[in-house]
Amino acid sequence: MQLRPRFGLYALVTVSVLVSFLPIIWLILTSLKTTAGIYAWPPQYIPDPFTLDNYINIIQNSPELLIYVWNSFVVGFGTTVFTLVFGSMAGYALSRLGMRRAGILMIFILAVSMFPPVSLIPSLFQNFLQFGLLNTYIGLIIAHTGLFLPFAVWMLASYFATLPVEIEEAARMDGMGTFRIFRSIVIPLSWPGFVATGLIVFIFSWNEFPLALVLMTENAMRTAPVGISLYPGEYAFPWETISTATVIAIIPILMITAIFQKQIVGGLTAGASK
Amino acid sequence: MTEVKLKSIGKSYGAVAAVQQVDLTIKDGEFLVLLGPSGCGKSTTLRMIAGLESITAGDLLIGGKRMNDVDPKNRGVAMVFQNYALYPHKSVFDNMAMALKLQKVAASEIEKRVGTTAEMLGLTEYLGRKPAALSGGQRQRVAIGRAIVRTPDVFLFDEPLSNLDAKLRVKMRMELQELHDRLGVTSVYVTHDQVEAMTLADRIVIMNKGLVTQVGTPREVYDHPVDEFVAGFIGSPAMNFIDLVRNDNGIWKTACCSLALPSLPLDTSRLLSLRLGIRPEHIVVNPDDEKGAFTYQATVKLDELLGADALLNLKVGDVSLLARVGGMDYPVKGDVLKIALPEARMHFFNPETGLAYDRTH
Repeated sequence: MQLRPRFGLYALVTVSVLVSFLPIIWLILTSLKTTAGIYAWPPQYIPDPFTLDNYINIIQNSPELLIYVWNSFVVGFGTTVFTLVFGSMAGYALSRLGMRRAGILMIFILAVSMFPPVSLIPSLFQNFLQFGLLNTYIGLIIAHTGLFLPFAVWMLASYFATLPVEIEEAARMDGMGTFRIFRSIVIPLSWPGFVATGLIVFIFSWNEFPLALVLMTENAMRTAPVGISLYPGEYAFPWETISTATVIAIIPILMITAIFQKQIVGGLTAGASK
Repeated sequence: MTEVKLKSIGKSYGAVAAVQQVDLTIKDGEFLVLLGPSGCGKSTTLRMIAGLESITAGDLLIGGKRMNDVDPKNRGVAMVFQNYALYPHKSVFDNMAMALKLQKVAASEIEKRVGTTAEMLGLTEYLGRKPAALSGGQRQRVAIGRAIVRTPDVFLFDEPLSNLDAKLRVKMRMELQELHDRLGVTSVYVTHDQVEAMTLADRIVIMNKGLVTQVGTPREVYDHPVDEFVAGFIGSPAMNFIDLVRNDNGIWKTACCSLALPSLPLDTSRLLSLRLGIRPEHIVVNPDDEKGAFTYQATVKLDELLGADALLNLKVGDVSLLARVGGMDYPVKGDVLKIALPEARMHFFNPETGLAYDRTH
């Protein structure tokens, strides 16, 4: 049987890819334009003249960008680790240990994450000041962990729910305790779930703005989105610097996504049952 | 010597009783099959023995010791699950060795025991593979091997063959039989397949709605079902049931009179109605000898060849009967023929309670 080319499907994919990628493409193009090119009318679609000056400039004149990116990386990594550790344990307990009223707890957890982060700022700021957590990595990591934990609990709980319960029962019959089952059966089998959740949390944390702005007040501790947004000068937005810095700040995320992408796809539970 | 004793064991979830008051003694070395339709409580009973389900009433004794609150690993039981439940990220060897590793058995001893078991099950060449690289039958063998390696006092099987295709199921069934003959370990086996139950069991326990309906050898439950449920559940195709009422002359007839029986082999003096049961394989088509049987004229409404056998859908007046005959030269649709219902093969039930009546001869 010959497969009919599915033009409708391809058209749909093309449109959705374009919609989500156009701003990024525009961003990259802007970073390759001169200042005059950026403000040109009608807008330039192909940079003319094409220039790498912005990149050279930013590396020569704004070494702090690399510090911002490093800060973002440390906070994102720490948040991901914390979120996965606590999120997986909570998610496992809620989805598998037969807790009473687990459903209500899950909804409660979700409800907590509905507060806009801005509403948390006053209490976080005062308490972080009190405990000396302002301008520390661990401070922002704690704040971000609190912010993204509900999401991780939900993601991981629903992933655990898809594992065949008999495997865990077989492990119990073999003599494993709950924690051992969690460590040597559930975690290895949920690896794709962990990678997907971790990746999303990392990106969330990387892009988070309000808390990072308020809790990191020293320039040397700023994260990439905050640092870049504070570039604007007194009279004009230096768009070429902002777009170039943003492109540089995206690179680590792209790399991490590329590395773990294969892991997400892997079907680890194949052959477990049936 | 391991005897398993269930003393009025029950399991309820809140107000809902999944298993109510099961009393059973599984003898040492016996192969006991729990049989019943889905939701009858057979799996729950097995899981209570395994320790995967808490016991809400009664006592469980394994080898004379009360096991209600003992951890599954300390009960001396091993379980084979319906969907194998192998560890997909571990090799066949590690799957089979897991319990021994957790018991801190020496590595050389583990190697030896897994090796022997793998050889017994024909798995030696697959020890390094992951379960995903095995066929369904091989996976189930690994699951059985994992149970054997532990040298448990009791084997528990939860529908271990239902995921296999029909051909493989028959083969694995025979292997299980051989294995039991060889190891002689007390076994409890849950299934909804009455053929598996009949072929594997020393004794069958038939459950319905959380209660034990009948316990007996395959022969006993087939020949002497205690009630209509057992009679209909054991045997395939299912037993024919015909409702009869007694008329003023003391003759038993169907409501529309098409089938009449002058006398019945039981004390009917106080009965006005009853339900007659006869298995399809016991209806005689074109009988040579009519002694001890009631004969009727029947029309073939439908004939189905199964291979060795054929099934005939017969009509005697307004009564439908299913008969099983040999697969050679059998009557076909539209034929009119004579059938005999041998009195010795009849079963009689109370139409209200479903309980079987005792025969007088």
